[in-house]
Amino acid sequence: MRNCLVIDLDRCSGCDSCIVACKLENNIDLGNYWNQVIAVGPTGTHPDIEQYWLPVQCQQCENAACVHVCPTGASYRDEKTGVVLIDKAKCIGCQYCMMACPYGVRSFNQKEKVVEKCTLCSHRTADGEGVPACVHNCCCGARLYGDLDDPSSDVAKAVAAASPDAVHHLPDPGSAKPATVYLLSPKTAAWKELV
Amino acid sequence: MAMKASMTRRSFVKTTALAGAAAAIGVSLSDSLVEVDPAYADEPVETKVVKTSCHGCIQMCPARATVENGVVTKLEGDPDAPVSRGSLCMKGLNQLHTMYSPRRVLHPLKRAGERGENKWEVISWDEAIEEAATHICDAIDKYGPYAFFASVGGGGSYSFMEAMTLPMAFGSPTVFEPGCAQCYLPRWSLSKLFYGGIDQSIADNAVQEIFRTGDDNKAEVVVLWGAQPSVSQTAESGRGMAELRAKGVKTIVVDPNFSPDAVKADVWLPVRPATDTGLLLAWFRYIFENKLYNEEFTKYWTNLPFLIDPDTKLPVEAKELFPDYVSPTPDNTPAYACFDARTNAVAPFPYSAPADSPVDPEVFWAGEFNGKTYKTAGQIYKEQADPWTLEHAEEVCWVPAERIEEAIKLYTGAGVAGIANGVASDMTESASQVPLGCMGLDSIMGYINKPGCTMTQYGAAGAPPTKRPVTYNNGFDGMFSDMYGIGAVVGMSPAENEARAKALGEANPQQKLANQLLIDRLGMKDHKGLYAWCHSHIPTVREAIATGEPYKPRVWFDMSGNKLAMLGNAKSWYEVFPEIDYIIGQYPMLTSFHIEAADLVFPVREWLEEPMVNMTQLNTQWLQNEVVHIGETVSHSIPAAQVIARCKEKWGGSLPGLVPGYIGNATEEEVKASVAETLHAPSWDELVNNTDTYVPYVTPPEEYWHYNQHETIVDDGLPAGFGTESRKVETYCQILIKLARTGYPFCYPEPQEACEDYSPICEFIEPAESPVNDDTDEYPFVLTSGRVPYFHHGTMRHAAFARELYPAPDVRINPRSAAELGIEHMDWVKVSSRRGEIHGRAYLTEGVHPGVVWMERFWNPECYDASVPEEKQTAGWRECNVNVLTKNDAPFNEVYGSYTNRGFTVKVEKSEKPDNIWVEPEQFAPFLPTLHSEPITKDVF
Repeated sequence: MRNCLVIDLDRCSGCDSCIVACKLENNIDLGNYWNQVIAVGPTGTHPDIEQYWLPVQCQQCENAACVHVCPTGASYRDEKTGVVLIDKAKCIGCQYCMMACPYGVRSFNQKEKVVEKCTLCSHRTADGEGVPACVHNCCCGARLYGDLDDPSSDVAKAVAAASPDAVHHLPDPGSAKPATVYLLSPKTAAWKELV
Repeated sequence: MAMKASMTRRSFVKTTALAGAAAAIGVSLSDSLVEVDPAYADEPVETKVVKTSCHGCIQMCPARATVENGVVTKLEGDPDAPVSRGSLCMKGLNQLHTMYSPRRVLHPLKRAGERGENKWEVISWDEAIEEAATHICDAIDKYGPYAFFASVGGGGSYSFMEAMTLPMAFGSPTVFEPGCAQCYLPRWSLSKLFYGGIDQSIADNAVQEIFRTGDDNKAEVVVLWGAQPSVSQTAESGRGMAELRAKGVKTIVVDPNFSPDAVKADVWLPVRPATDTGLLLAWFRYIFENKLYNEEFTKYWTNLPFLIDPDTKLPVEAKELFPDYVSPTPDNTPAYACFDARTNAVAPFPYSAPADSPVDPEVFWAGEFNGKTYKTAGQIYKEQADPWTLEHAEEVCWVPAERIEEAIKLYTGAGVAGIANGVASDMTESASQVPLGCMGLDSIMGYINKPGCTMTQYGAAGAPPTKRPVTYNNGFDGMFSDMYGIGAVVGMSPAENEARAKALGEANPQQKLANQLLIDRLGMKDHKGLYAWCHSHIPTVREAIATGEPYKPRVWFDMSGNKLAMLGNAKSWYEVFPEIDYIIGQYPMLTSFHIEAADLVFPVREWLEEPMVNMTQLNTQWLQNEVVHIGETVSHSIPAAQVIARCKEKWGGSLPGLVPGYIGNATEEEVKASVAETLHAPSWDELVNNTDTYVPYVTPPEEYWHYNQHETIVDDGLPAGFGTESRKVETYCQILIKLARTGYPFCYPEPQEACEDYSPICEFIEPAESPVNDDTDEYPFVLTSGRVPYFHHGTMRHAAFARELYPAPDVRINPRSAAELGIEHMDWVKVSSRRGEIHGRAYLTEGVHPGVVWMERFWNPECYDASVPEEKQTAGWRECNVNVLTKNDAPFNEVYGSYTNRGFTVKVEKSEKPDNIWVEPEQFAPFLPTLHSEPITKDVF
């Protein structure tokens, strides 16, 4: 089971609404973000330029370094959903996981002294019914949620329908195997290997 | 969420001990409330999901609000909405904070210090209405009705109809809004004059056809001309654009800025700001020269084949050239003259279906007839466009010639295409010329009334015609025309109009007063297009306030947000505030304008509190619900209605103005009843108790979507045609000539004084301040602006989750230009124009030309936060507000008087962050919501 997001960058217009949907849904403090949107570009020289936006949140790595380094088992993979989560009761705030995460998508909650990150809105999705707030409200229909291993899911269908040269993952120097898929066709812009 | 635990529910009963201390504005007056119910702190959480509509911008996406024990805890897009499909953007989502913002004004406020000191006294509604009414009555008694004026606009308030009609009630002609001539009026009004039809604006929900769903969507190519729906209306038409592109629809974007829609476009034309007219004429030239236009449509459905009289500039009627000619059509459908290719001669050109036409009219012809030289309207257009080769356009407009050609080929090669014309041109001197050009292109291509184009007629306006179409003028759908007997009806014969005006005048003696108000309205002699929305010319109003000529507006009732952030050349307005005796405001919070100017502020509802009907999505209409209600806030129409009633009382039962005058509900009950009626529910209670039964109200598709209406044969045996004088699309917009000379069709039956003729076709205008026109190199950049997705107009600068992402305005500048100035990415810079200077942060991007900088409007409510020492506080409009730079003096757009918000010259220098501006996320903590425990309150009126 690989529950994760698939984000269609041909659609994403960088409106940042997913950031706010996430923050309001999860009651996140000012200055902390469980997902961010990076403007990649414009690259080239005016007027021959291209650009895309890259929303980045927990990539739901198959080989999650955060889980491996956690000394208390607070970072764990939920057996039922396969999603990487944090048990705040077990978190001691050592922040090893923040250093281990190759994508910098974990943040430290100063008030509670624990690490937090995208849960794929597990409070909405764990029962298999809902979708994360960022997916529901996405203004471009760019964000999809589901199980990549289930061919009937929205995410699996979107990946299957995409041209192979449009299917991307974030760079993976440490063999973390991020599950999150980005769809970007060369017609929109060339994929940049950002780390 | 923590907020639940402390929730109590109390009925709101105000004591009389309120007046006195200058209250902190958003702070609850709970000490002065008498609890009539016990607190329910221990009660289990009661959760409900309420259907409503967002009002974060004017498109009003359907949304769902989760309410827990009376507090709204979640907002989501409604997945059943056909265009937004469950999307809800940041502007909507952040209402969760702004609804409960410490900045909310929950009670009427009277100024307690000097203007600018931000000191207020809470007063009762009764006292507030008495204050307002007394000042209005006194001023009118002393100086006459023209001492009163109203205004609206700026986002977050909805009083467009109310502001338009409020001065009518007092017998004053003066009202303005910073939008209007600078936003939408030119496009809206010109489409009526051009073809009696619906305009090309996406933002204002006029363009709906291209967002039809599934197989019903026939769009092939969409041109976004100065529009960025993905930013301005992110969740609705932004979503619509995303769906279109995913479907394979090609897009062309004309925008100096590499907007998200430009990023996704098949062809991007980064036009030099405010030179769009040159680009349009290049399209015309290429299409004419390469015969890419739709010949049949142009010949028979536009007025381009008509011969134009060189003296009058008007089309020649057949009877003028052929005295014995008897037109086969009724008086309301004149026969004109053309050059007939069949007979090789000038001939009468009677109106008919194309197949029945006795002539084969030439579109382009010039020659003599009876000793006078005539040209066809098409020929005049062709000559106007003639200098505009692709190369010339490249030189003037800074867009590569091959790119322009690629765009034109895409646009003309499609089976159907359509232009969506955005707000950009409204903010320039070419506010009328650009829509004339955009509609003109679609008309010569025949992209009108077809599935998949933007100029289609739908809903009630598109119902299959049974009679010759006519177009009413003065107000929306010409509502003031029948009401007061003013304005001619385009499409009626002169005799019919005379008889109509006479009969209406006999029935309503107020016709004379209504007509006089038209004549006396400020700025009308020169900019008669403003008549369409009954608005005054803003710079002329400012001048009248300053000089008292021709009369002095003295008492101001503003019905919306931050005028200092929205009006061009804000400082010039600040300077005349001392000339204004009394200023009334209404808004959910205090803005720079209220602090600097207002003497009295009425508290109005946020959108989660105010019942309304949404703008519609395709053939569906949705409810904006009264989800909650706190404080003593009221719906937007109520303060003015209550004030008018009080004035009437003071004047012994009569008002000095027009009857009915003000159009706006006086009580929440009336507001709710009218919403229920619009949504076809028997009552408000029934509507909210059984929302799913009534919302959305769906018009069956077969009753909503119609095409090719102009070809329908109507009761006179002719094809319906269009609601214009000629019954054709007036690509040569002949009525603009008449408008300039007499005010026809608006100022009628008594005419307005003549001014210079308006151009009936697109003509090139070089911006007054530009690299070409400037005689100094002091201001080397052209500045333009455009929205960002975080805010709508002046709204949401107090939304912490928006501001932490976009704390200060970006000044987008090309890296090569920045390097020359020693400016690095995110450096603070000072931007100066001939009017003033402001600050922003440099955002280095190849998305703008090296000669262009781009910056969005801004203001900074943190500048008067309680955490700032009092002596350092400011009203937050001088620091980062692009409207300190904008140009509100001549030249104006000739028809609409639009001034220059975009396309003027500036200099940019490295600088420092101004005092008081917050940029770190944590600094915005004082904007986080504090009012969750405010009691739910009953309606005040």
